[in-house]
Amino acid sequence: MDAFLLGAGQVLSVETLIYMLLGSIAGIIAAAIPGFTVTMAIVLTLPLTFTMDPLQGIAVMLSVYVGGYTGGLISAALLGIPGTPSSVATTFDAFPMSRNGEPGRALSIGVWASFFGTVISTAVLIVAAPPLAIFAVKLGPWEYFSLIVFALTIVASLVGHSLQRGLIAALIGLAISTVGTDPILGRPRFDFGIEMLAAGLPFLVVLIGIFAISQLASEVEDAGKIKSGQKLVTGEIDFKTWAVMKEVLMRPVNLVRSSIVGVLIGALPGAGGSIANLVAYDQAKRASKTPEKFGTGITDGVVASEAGNSATAGGGLIPLIALGIPGSAVDAILMASLMVHGISVGPRLIMDNADLVYGMFIAMVVASFMMLVVCVLSMRAFLRVAEVPKWVVVPVVLVCCVVGSFALNNRVNDLYLLGFIGLFGYALRALDYPLAPLVLGVILGPIAETNLRRALMTDDDWSLFLTRPVSLIFLIAAVASVAWAVRAHFKSKKTQENAEGTAP
Amino acid sequence: MSAPAPDLSGKEPGEVARLLSYIALLAVSAGLFWEATNIPASRFETLGAGAFPMIVHGCLMLLLVITIVQTLRGLPAGSYAAFATAFSIWVSERRLVFVVFVCLGLYLAAMPVIGYPIATLVFLAVLQFALAPKTKGAMAVLIVLSILFSFGLNWLFAEVFNVFLPRG
Repeated sequence: MDAFLLGAGQVLSVETLIYMLLGSIAGIIAAAIPGFTVTMAIVLTLPLTFTMDPLQGIAVMLSVYVGGYTGGLISAALLGIPGTPSSVATTFDAFPMSRNGEPGRALSIGVWASFFGTVISTAVLIVAAPPLAIFAVKLGPWEYFSLIVFALTIVASLVGHSLQRGLIAALIGLAISTVGTDPILGRPRFDFGIEMLAAGLPFLVVLIGIFAISQLASEVEDAGKIKSGQKLVTGEIDFKTWAVMKEVLMRPVNLVRSSIVGVLIGALPGAGGSIANLVAYDQAKRASKTPEKFGTGITDGVVASEAGNSATAGGGLIPLIALGIPGSAVDAILMASLMVHGISVGPRLIMDNADLVYGMFIAMVVASFMMLVVCVLSMRAFLRVAEVPKWVVVPVVLVCCVVGSFALNNRVNDLYLLGFIGLFGYALRALDYPLAPLVLGVILGPIAETNLRRALMTDDDWSLFLTRPVSLIFLIAAVASVAWAVRAHFKSKKTQENAEGTAP
Repeated sequence: MSAPAPDLSGKEPGEVARLLSYIALLAVSAGLFWEATNIPASRFETLGAGAFPMIVHGCLMLLLVITIVQTLRGLPAGSYAAFATAFSIWVSERRLVFVVFVCLGLYLAAMPVIGYPIATLVFLAVLQFALAPKTKGAMAVLIVLSILFSFGLNWLFAEVFNVFLPRG
């Protein structure tokens, strides 16, 4: 109880609330700009939190996170362009609803569904994370190593179009993590006498380069589009706030099911809001008595997609808080921000820093209320943001990425690294390699290596990985995730061949 | 926002490009595997500092070899001839991407020499000019943003966050 009150005291201080409000606004604005992802917004927020207390910094980042998931709705509903990858399914019904002359209602339904999705996922997080952490403390290095193998295989199999390229990307990430001194004995590795490599490649610079720079570069691929503006949909923008709230609450089954889908998918490493958004929409369509109306601008479609993606925010924090395993790139940045403040993230986090964890729970709830209030009061102002052209976004955000990378360590070498990694990331993106497994490989690599070597220092019997039940379960799950992905690949190939064979 | 279709203007040229990437990665991975074998083992533990990198690169090489064989078996003979043409079209369609990377490279190289504010002012002005429609309104926005994010951001970081960006 003391820890809860301590955490609440820190989050509910006036200073933190003001920072969180700014974070909410920044998250909504950032995600509303097409081409600017939630991940990028969080990355750019990180350097600004260095001077804050750990909980204050995390609370601000969570408010950007929660705001960002809602902000993607604006361009999805008004332009038919998902502001973030997690708003793809939102365009299916929110955009037709806007074109049918109800843009305000589309936005309002999305905001309320996002709010309830976040609140439900936070409730699940509060219930699920502590017991899972208590269980996780009992795990040995064998189980941890197997868990990381499972996390990486499931990420590789869920993200992108090819399991092989997903696994290759994860292994490239692990390989990048081995550059620099080794985590047990501190021996230098792969530095080739270059000072920049001796200390290892800073995770956050790699992350900014891989995600942000490559994404920004891909935004200017179409020379024609970048120079033309796009108009917002026409029609009266009337939010009907309270009527819409009742309309959303009148769909409790859809709301709860989509939120639970979001929580479960968010808790799965690698499967973030983009998958939850689509799966929740698909489930709502399957369960509907009128599935043919989906895609024409119906309320259920908007509720499912927005509740689904927003609920991943709480779901993603479950493995981070309970196991120290980030479920997505955004969670990896949150983990890095804790590490920057000298807090070790793992199953002991909730025992050693209970105030911080309770503070994170409270911050999630506060952030969702702030998002709601900000959206309801000032949605009209945010609508202008979706009109910001890419020729403004790309150069300005590139500068923010450069500043953010430099501010991490005040090293000019990091800037050169950022350029190289950005180019490498763009090449991988162009070649259709998924980037999320690579980034998770970079952050999980040292944890995997440390646990593997610790396990064998304790007992040099390799068979313990297979004879310890929990370790075996994780390894079986890893093999099953690969087998499932291979089966799905062959199934889709067969369907494609059959379709080609029957085509005239 | 999702990226546009990344394929190199068609399935087969894209497969050839990926094949080349597998071969390049295999070469790098083999080199690093050999380098890892030279890392001395430790008498304090079963695995030394080189063991984990060897496992990672071993798995990576195995996966790459399997993928290369699969790709070679699936590619028609004519794909390689079509690749050069498809690649040049791909490059020409994405000329703005190369403009962005060239500008970024020059910006990062110049920043330690001439300092953050001036390097950023020039970078923003040049890149926005390259990407923007040539209208008076766009040019006015361009000038304001260039000043705001060069001298303005430099002031904000120095005065508020006590982070000093490169002064040159």
